[in-house]
Amino acid sequence: MMLARVADSLYWIGRYVERAEHMCRLSDVMLNATLDRSEAATQVARIALAAVGDPDLAKAHNPYDAAQALALDREDDGSIYSSIARARENARQVRDQITTETWERLNLIYLRMSGPEAAKAFADGSQLFLHDTIADLHLFKGAGDATMSHGEGWSFLLLGVYLERAQLIGSLLEVAFGEGRKRRPISDHFALTSVLRMGCALEPYLRVYTAEMQRRYILKFLMLDEDFPRSIRFCTQEIETHLTAITRHAGISGPAGPDRIAGRLRARLQYADMAELEAQGATAFLKTVLEECSTIHRALYDAFVAYPLEDRLPA
Amino acid sequence: MRDEPTAEAESPLRPYDEMLTPDSQVRPHYAALDARLATLSPAELAERQRTQERFFLLQGITFTVYGAESSTERIIPSDILPRIIPSAEWARIEAGLKQRLQALNTFLADIYSEQQILMDGVVPRELVLQAPSYRREMQNLYVPHKAYANVCGSDLIRQPSGEFAVLEDNLRVPSGVSYMLANREASRRVFPGTFRGAGVRSIDRYPDLLLSTLKSMAADWRPNPQVVVLTPGVYNSAYYEHAYLARLMGAPLVEGRDLVVHDNMVYMRTTTGLRRIDVIYRRVDDDFIDPLTFRRDSSLGAAGLFNAYRAGNVVICNAPGTGVADDKAVYAYVPEIIRYYLGEEPILPNIETFLCREPAQLSHVLANLDKLVVKAVGASGGYGMLVGPHATRAQRAEFADALTANPENYIAQPTIQLSTAPCLIDGEVEPRHVDLRPFILCGEKIVVTPGALTRVALKKGSLVVNSSQGGGSKDTWVLSDGKGDRG
Repeated sequence: MMLARVADSLYWIGRYVERAEHMCRLSDVMLNATLDRSEAATQVARIALAAVGDPDLAKAHNPYDAAQALALDREDDGSIYSSIARARENARQVRDQITTETWERLNLIYLRMSGPEAAKAFADGSQLFLHDTIADLHLFKGAGDATMSHGEGWSFLLLGVYLERAQLIGSLLEVAFGEGRKRRPISDHFALTSVLRMGCALEPYLRVYTAEMQRRYILKFLMLDEDFPRSIRFCTQEIETHLTAITRHAGISGPAGPDRIAGRLRARLQYADMAELEAQGATAFLKTVLEECSTIHRALYDAFVAYPLEDRLPA
Repeated sequence: MRDEPTAEAESPLRPYDEMLTPDSQVRPHYAALDARLATLSPAELAERQRTQERFFLLQGITFTVYGAESSTERIIPSDILPRIIPSAEWARIEAGLKQRLQALNTFLADIYSEQQILMDGVVPRELVLQAPSYRREMQNLYVPHKAYANVCGSDLIRQPSGEFAVLEDNLRVPSGVSYMLANREASRRVFPGTFRGAGVRSIDRYPDLLLSTLKSMAADWRPNPQVVVLTPGVYNSAYYEHAYLARLMGAPLVEGRDLVVHDNMVYMRTTTGLRRIDVIYRRVDDDFIDPLTFRRDSSLGAAGLFNAYRAGNVVICNAPGTGVADDKAVYAYVPEIIRYYLGEEPILPNIETFLCREPAQLSHVLANLDKLVVKAVGASGGYGMLVGPHATRAQRAEFADALTANPENYIAQPTIQLSTAPCLIDGEVEPRHVDLRPFILCGEKIVVTPGALTRVALKKGSLVVNSSQGGGSKDTWVLSDGKGDRG
């Protein structure tokens, strides 16, 4: 049992923290690509910008400014700063529910990003800055994992993390490999490696598929791998696990309960066949996955957070 | 309180120094700290001060300053040098605080039922019944153990004579206890050796004692009551404290929007539906508890909450209407209130107070405006106040007019010399004025935590300890039996 408002905040902490981490990685890969003044570098920057949802792809010609704005722009709701600030604001609202160890990590990241030294630190070493932020976000998750009770609240936080991750990876794959776009498909080795880096998947990928960079394998790995924590399939497994735990706890279940929708999505990914998927087209498949994620989000709200009071009043 | 104002002029008495005797000898209970300080260079001390500030910042023990362009979070300055109180002095403070709270709760129970004390003419009837903090709605409402004020944070000061006196009783929603606990956590790190050797009494049980106090308020009708902390929300300046206490008690921290009142029962919205609440430790002012009963425009409480309280289905702590007992005019009668209910002499004295509603006292106040501090009865936080010695002639004239026009609105007190304690200012140890805010809990029984928030006026010579006006705080070490007592 926990307050509905608290569950909501924990869920959003998970989402914002995951979003911030993903944005850091995209910026980092984008900056890394600028070191290499090839056409592929511009292509990588364009993928990164499209994946963060920036409509102005002309910025791809000046990746440093784009990365700096993405990191520190306070006016932009989509910046890393904004995600961190919101995660921290949510944490402050449920300060009694998270352990001091966990809070300290998040507060530290926020203080560094909001302090007067942030812009200078970014200018002095932007990749180091992003790298440190990612490392601190890992520490935050680790501190939570090691010190918080793995009960209902933790499940809500992780639901936020995995739903956000599934959607972010889904959007990245759609941008990089979707059909029906004007761009020609990515085949360049450097660009393919960069996509894997954006999904923090390069090293795990190499262990499975070796250094053979193939668009098909990458798609398969990031979508359907059973063990890689950033594959969409893995995310849906986690979403199902945590939703089942919460639903069991609440004693509510119905034909349209969020746990069932999650189970259906997990099964779809678990039994997906790559050949079939390619025949259908990756775009259509990813679109379905992203829609299902939104449905789970809404079902979660209807069941646990914004339920109608009349149904729950004592007789 | 006195009928005839005395004409004694405030002699420029030297303020009491917590560490040094008048002939500059270190008092025995400060000897260990003094010896430790002698071994540390200004640079080392400054480094420790920075470590402490970082600790507060990391913990998020901050308050928000809203500016025109952006808002920033600041820490409340915390001085690393502890203020030390020997056990015998503390024993007297503790006994005095218990006596005082017991009398004030009895007073509240009386004025909200039989009003015997008003009928006996000990306290003027209109003074109580016309006070803005008097809540008619509380009349004849059953309050378990007659514990109206469950959490009290009195402000004490040490007079030049060395005697502690009560400056103010805070019986509404006193705050500061989280700073007491955070200062302790910090000072244990800064002076571990000195702390260990001193025999400092532990304050760690405060959250535990608070919880059992709150539970005792519903114990006779619910075996294991559900306690919650009600906060106005994250934008309240004391939000850190609300979250801190909720976390350490293991009680949910709720906001008004989490509450639902149905059939005179109070529930909170949880992930598994509605859950009944038995005790609300509210950190929301009376006016905002229930828009149906008090202020209509408030969304900080819950509609129908007060009726649920009246029906006996939930307990609100502190009870609404306790403010009438810490009213500045009623304050002057507290010694009489203690004598009336307990038949005892007050252990802790009041500060001499002139009630302008009494003509004889008014004329004394008007004649001595340049020496007195005049306070508006209903105001708090330093508003509506005249500090005579520091005021201009025009300001005094303005107040004289206000006093004559509306005498019952004002009280006056002599300018009080707060005691001084050593503080670290820019790496140097210097005396600064301090007060003392201990915390008293009252449910089935009264408990005083052996510690306090010592507030510090960080500006040299300043007597204002409020955090909004350049004040800070420091840890307070209450020594255990036989430690640090004279002789």
